[in-house]
Amino acid sequence: MRAEKSILVGGIRGIHGRVATRLAGIADRYGVRLFLRHDGKTVECSSILDVLALALVRGATVGLLAEGPRAESALAAAADIINDQDEA
Amino acid sequence: MTCPDQQDNRPPPARALQGIGVSPGIVAATVVVFKRRTVRAGWHHLPPDHIEHEVDRFAGAIKAAGDELLLLREKLADDLADALSIIDSHLLMLKDKMIVERTIGIIRHKNVNAEWALAQALSEIKERFDRIDDSYIRERFTDIKHVADRVFGLLSGREHQPFAGEGQAVILVANDFSPEDTLRMQAGNVHGFLTEKGGVTSHTAIVARALGLPAVVGLEHATSLLTTGDAIILDGGSGQIVLDPAPEEMRRVQEENRCDGLLADELARYIHLSSETADGVAVRLSANIETLAELPAVLHFGSDGIGLFRSELDYFNNRRPPNEEQLVAIYQQLLAAMSPHPVTVRTLDVGGDKFLNRFPGNKAWLDRERNPALGLRSIRFSLYEREIFRSQLRALFRASVHGRLRILLPLVSAPAELRQAKEIVAEVLAELAENGYSVAQGVELGIMVEVPSAVVMADVFAAEVDFFAIGTNDLIQFSLAIDRGNQYVAHLYEPFHPAVLRMIRQTVEAGHACNISVSLCGEMASDPLCVPVLLGMGLDELSMRPAVVPRIRRLLRHCRSDELRQISRQALQCGDSDQVRDMLARQLPALCPKEFYQ
Repeated sequence: MRAEKSILVGGIRGIHGRVATRLAGIADRYGVRLFLRHDGKTVECSSILDVLALALVRGATVGLLAEGPRAESALAAAADIINDQDEA
Repeated sequence: MTCPDQQDNRPPPARALQGIGVSPGIVAATVVVFKRRTVRAGWHHLPPDHIEHEVDRFAGAIKAAGDELLLLREKLADDLADALSIIDSHLLMLKDKMIVERTIGIIRHKNVNAEWALAQALSEIKERFDRIDDSYIRERFTDIKHVADRVFGLLSGREHQPFAGEGQAVILVANDFSPEDTLRMQAGNVHGFLTEKGGVTSHTAIVARALGLPAVVGLEHATSLLTTGDAIILDGGSGQIVLDPAPEEMRRVQEENRCDGLLADELARYIHLSSETADGVAVRLSANIETLAELPAVLHFGSDGIGLFRSELDYFNNRRPPNEEQLVAIYQQLLAAMSPHPVTVRTLDVGGDKFLNRFPGNKAWLDRERNPALGLRSIRFSLYEREIFRSQLRALFRASVHGRLRILLPLVSAPAELRQAKEIVAEVLAELAENGYSVAQGVELGIMVEVPSAVVMADVFAAEVDFFAIGTNDLIQFSLAIDRGNQYVAHLYEPFHPAVLRMIRQTVEAGHACNISVSLCGEMASDPLCVPVLLGMGLDELSMRPAVVPRIRRLLRHCRSDELRQISRQALQCGDSDQVRDMLARQLPALCPKEFYQ
């Protein structure tokens, strides 16, 4: 199964180390492959360095893509993390 | 030529080295030395039949580095959420394909050694990160480097030792410690620190003081002079290191430490108790800190908040003042880690003995300062360099939604200064609202009461602020006109001078008349002799080094509020400081035998 949606980055410091770490955790927990799309590039969330190198700052729009049996729920959980305004 | 001394069979006297003592306490233990030379990854061409062996060697180092992090993660307490999240992100980096697959690819395709291949992979990552505009994300490369350094160390066969031997007390010796090292220290059986670099305000010094562990810094060549396994005695007060001490001397210090350990165990029971007198009057016991690295110690010793966050360090560490985003990041972590407890951040307190000579444009000013203690410093500096002040205020308010923030203005001496500062605060708040930032309701604004004029005018100030924080170190110096740094007059520095006690009382009374809280930060707040007098005056909060909190809490919980008031009244009736001390010597042992009969 595949699920995809577009999300606004909400955290003040954008997608930094902890957000990227939490995203990798989601992929693990739901047993899915999770990808981020931005600016014509697609990276897999299992690589924290790829994710960081996208340099996603607050307010950027990012495509989020999940592949796997629980893609929908993984997508929702990941979207919450990316969108989380309180993420320090 | 022979000296007469050498003819008898006395053992040679112990050799001693002198460093800078930055965190008091004496400890006798064996040392673990970390030689963190910059790793120069030499290039070796490998014959084809060695390639897979090299790949295995690299994979082994990656695994060992990961195991080390997992072990550290297990040892760290669960309440250190931030620390755990750093470790988790480092674990991910260790597994990252840009590091692992890329390095293995380079080993295989270029027939080179693992160190060289890893260095190549790292420089490719660096190139990618250098192109990032956002400074915060760009600087994450430092983390990647930390992780890679650990792998380099393991590859070279060095550093593959846990920080502390199992169960055995050690003193860590290194050129300097990184912030991440300090995390590992909390987990290990570390009893002291010794570094080649650094001064009183170095990272190691601050963390050691927060943890209450003896430390000596600035001892050149320490990592060459000492070898892992050497026994030393380290005195974190005087800065002296005794090499090869006599066994009986080692035992004596260790026995003393065992007694201190018993006291520490006794005090540990107070870490999780509430801060209140025997009859249930609550007093906030909070911590003075200056860097996020002290937060684990703050949480460990159970403070009720941060009573004083000295915000200068973040300005001194770099060539330029930190930008607003960097400050937001720091303040946010600080507030979130302490929430729901309050955090009092003192705005930039530079000048005096802390120069900001790296600030562009200010060098000339500071060169001309003849009397820096009375010069362009603290709130005056902030009102002069308004952009720096505004940026700090913006960052504070932006971070305010993450916890309970109190903003403290240092060295306010006239109501006009407070009003100017409040105008700037109002402007900043309007700007933030315009830019769409949310700001917490109920951020409190207070002043440091540390200039005698502020004490005299306390009733006027109390009507215009949300809280007072009495800074006794400066208040004593200013009111008695004593420079503590001057050895000829330092003996006149006297916390029990009746003038000082009366000023504290006057400030508390003025604050309470306007229903605002009054706290005290300064060395008096951590001195068991002073604390009963202060508590009796009705202070709402005492702020001190994190490690002292359990001891002061024990004292607090053994006293009744009426007894404390009585002690205070008597102290205020004394005509000089000797009378105060005599009275306390008579009264205090009955008040809290555990504290005063030791």
